[in-house]
Amino acid sequence: MNLFRSEEHARRWTQFNPASEEGLGFIRLEDLVAFFGTESRRHMLDADYLSAWYPKRAAERRAVLERAGKTTPFWMGTPGTP
Amino acid sequence: MADARQLDQMFTRIMQGLVDTGRAPHYAELARAMVLGPAEGRQLLLDLMQAYPIGWLHPETDYIASFPPLNNLPTQYRVSVRGAQTWFAQCGFEATSVTWLFPGETVRVQAPCLDCGEPVVIEMRDGRLVTVEPASIVGHLNWGFGPSRGKPPFL
Repeated sequence: MNLFRSEEHARRWTQFNPASEEGLGFIRLEDLVAFFGTESRRHMLDADYLSAWYPKRAAERRAVLERAGKTTPFWMGTPGTP
Repeated sequence: MADARQLDQMFTRIMQGLVDTGRAPHYAELARAMVLGPAEGRQLLLDLMQAYPIGWLHPETDYIASFPPLNNLPTQYRVSVRGAQTWFAQCGFEATSVTWLFPGETVRVQAPCLDCGEPVVIEMRDGRLVTVEPASIVGHLNWGFGPSRGKPPFL
């Protein structure tokens, strides 16, 4: 889960996984900010984060991924993902 | 499994410790602060890491390696606030979440591109991007999420 200067730079990375191309492994920075900026993330310093907010994380992430069109198993975490 | 209140307390102490100092406290320090014995503190840490599986201990140890969005073990994602590079993000994706740990502050993340070594820089404030250099920066998920993602320490 890295940041690259561009898609071309990622593809030239020696450890680039070709299956990530197939799985549309790229994400726009703006979508990434939304993905990691959901409501629960804003409460990471709250005294009850783990019990009250962390459990909401999975559903929030799924919703953001759906809005960003990242509905492939690669992003959704379905077993069998390359 | 420990009760939720204790897990919350330990979680908060670790996260706040990372924010305050850039380092995660050891379980013995956490235990003392929580008026527990070291053995109880260690077990509570093990329970906590099961409850927060996106973080992990360094293999074969009780040392906190990763407690996202921050990392206790240095990564290439260097995080600076008020000009001080004190923190490391777990990965490039989590780096975009560090902003929520420093409300009202500009959080700078700088990393070398794994292809060319040239810098990738983002600055965020209260969840908004304020600097992106170069403008073509993208996120890349090399292995899919889920059981096949591989061992977390080798993301």
